[in-house]
Amino acid sequence: MKNILMMNDLQNFRLQYLYIAFVISILGFSQALANDKFPSVDPDPITCLGHFHVLDNVYDFCDTCGCGSSGGSMGYGTGLNNNFIGVRYIGQQYRSRDGIFNDSPWIDENFNTMQLWGNFPVLKRTVVNVIVPYQFHSRKFSDNTTQHINGLGDVSVLAMYNVLKVRPDSIVSIKLEHYVQVGGGVKIPTGTFDKANNTGSVNPSFQLGNGSWDYVLAANYGFNYRNWGISTLLNYTIKTENPKEYQFGNQFNYALNAFKTYYVDNNFSLTPILGVAGEIYETNKEYGAVVANTKGDIFLGKVSLEAAYSRYALGVVSMLPISQNLNNDKVELKNRLSIYLNVNF
Amino acid sequence: MKNFKIALLALISILAISCDNDDDDAMGLTGAGEVSVTFDNGYAGNDLILGTTNAANTNGEVLTVTRLSYIVSNFSLIDVDGNEYVFPKDDSYFIISQEADLEDIALPNIPSGEYTTLKFGVGIDDEKFQQGGEGQGDLWTRAEAHNLTWSWTAGYKYINYEGTFTSESVTEETDFKVHLGRIGDLVNYEEVSLALPTTVMVSDEMDANIHLKIDASKILVATNNLKLSEKAILMTDAEKAPLVAVNASEMFAVDHVHNGNGH
Repeated sequence: MKNILMMNDLQNFRLQYLYIAFVISILGFSQALANDKFPSVDPDPITCLGHFHVLDNVYDFCDTCGCGSSGGSMGYGTGLNNNFIGVRYIGQQYRSRDGIFNDSPWIDENFNTMQLWGNFPVLKRTVVNVIVPYQFHSRKFSDNTTQHINGLGDVSVLAMYNVLKVRPDSIVSIKLEHYVQVGGGVKIPTGTFDKANNTGSVNPSFQLGNGSWDYVLAANYGFNYRNWGISTLLNYTIKTENPKEYQFGNQFNYALNAFKTYYVDNNFSLTPILGVAGEIYETNKEYGAVVANTKGDIFLGKVSLEAAYSRYALGVVSMLPISQNLNNDKVELKNRLSIYLNVNF
Repeated sequence: MKNFKIALLALISILAISCDNDDDDAMGLTGAGEVSVTFDNGYAGNDLILGTTNAANTNGEVLTVTRLSYIVSNFSLIDVDGNEYVFPKDDSYFIISQEADLEDIALPNIPSGEYTTLKFGVGIDDEKFQQGGEGQGDLWTRAEAHNLTWSWTAGYKYINYEGTFTSESVTEETDFKVHLGRIGDLVNYEEVSLALPTTVMVSDEMDANIHLKIDASKILVATNNLKLSEKAILMTDAEKAPLVAVNASEMFAVDHVHNGNGH
């Protein structure tokens, strides 16, 4: 057993090493390729409002439970030229069956995440997205006892490369402008994984972190036309086995958002957003063996509003499930709510 | 376009790297561990709650179960290579009782390995019966404490399933009793073999739990269809007892397996 653990550590180490090499190489590409196609002068922040509205809230994905178990395995869309730092709260309410029968009691679970997040330009065509989550979750069992867990979640770092970029200096353009970003990153096991939390038949994602080094591939595509816009995103998280030999299933996320920005005045705009999003989870494994009732999928509707004043953006996002089949229907998402305040720079 | 191709290449290379990590071979299990089995009693998919009325069965009979106790015995595990490990027979008789909250049994010192099938029996096999009182250790005392003995025949009840029922023809709450046991040379002992949906892994560092979902409604309605309205007291009925025995052996299903609950 010890040997196996060591081998896994070694493997993880090797993966991390390769991954870091990859991220560095992405940065390398971007430097090599980012020639002077675009003006490098940063736009005046006040006139930022004239720029394509960049949705900070395209990052709306969560692991089953979490933003819970994986901090920021959420849409790693990066806005176009929108560099920001901010705080975001994500609240998720789930319920899961405490027992194996059709009439086993439901227990309520609350997943709360407070994130420090931001998009930082590293090179002309590359931004790095960082999410540092703090989790405070609770669940109430049928005997009325409540379990709380809180602490740092899994920190994620992604580099997104702008393959095709909207011109950063244009005022609301009258012609269709597309953007494409691809990238990848790593989710670092900074959150505690406690195996005792996923014994029994209740939600296995009641964790602060996955305990594993996970890798994310992400792609975003969108276009803007006048003050309308569409953004889409895809990402895939490859989750590895953690030192406790538990491995969360890989996760595929997708989303489509449509938005329109209303300019209330020079400094102030409102952007309502409507969207749909989906998440597909592969089965979890323990000691390499499939853990029953751990795969699933969910399809969500989203309503959101972002208010931007000068360089500040305040957003509220509400997501409700349209259809779901999580953990063989033993886990149900009730709702997700997110509130964020970002400062663009 | 060139940029895009390079980026795509980079993405593909990550995938290739990641795939590299997927080898979980050679578990290298050593020593021995404990396998526990949970007998989680239910009724037609719902939890079995004594004294609570259940949904009607296919015969239109509505049962309120007040007692479900049974003896399970002769446990063995079959590994991936088809080798059977038989748990020591003298320690292999257990009582499950809903009213006494006895639902977990422990099988310690299972040799390390990966097991794919669980086998056990319902009741007392002929060999054990022939050993008589001395060869059965404290089994009689334990069974007696949980209403699993017949006082007048000095025999074991393999199953004690009691309650009340109503049906179309029986509108008053009427007692039913299903007591399964040996009737003379009719042993009525049935074996159960359950394929495990997840391999059970056992080693010095890993214990495992097999969580069984029991459907008590099958005692009357499974392979054989038995109507309480025809006969509500099924005890030493040489015709129906074997039918009950077969039905009862079909009430067990594996819900899930937990590996690595640790020593």
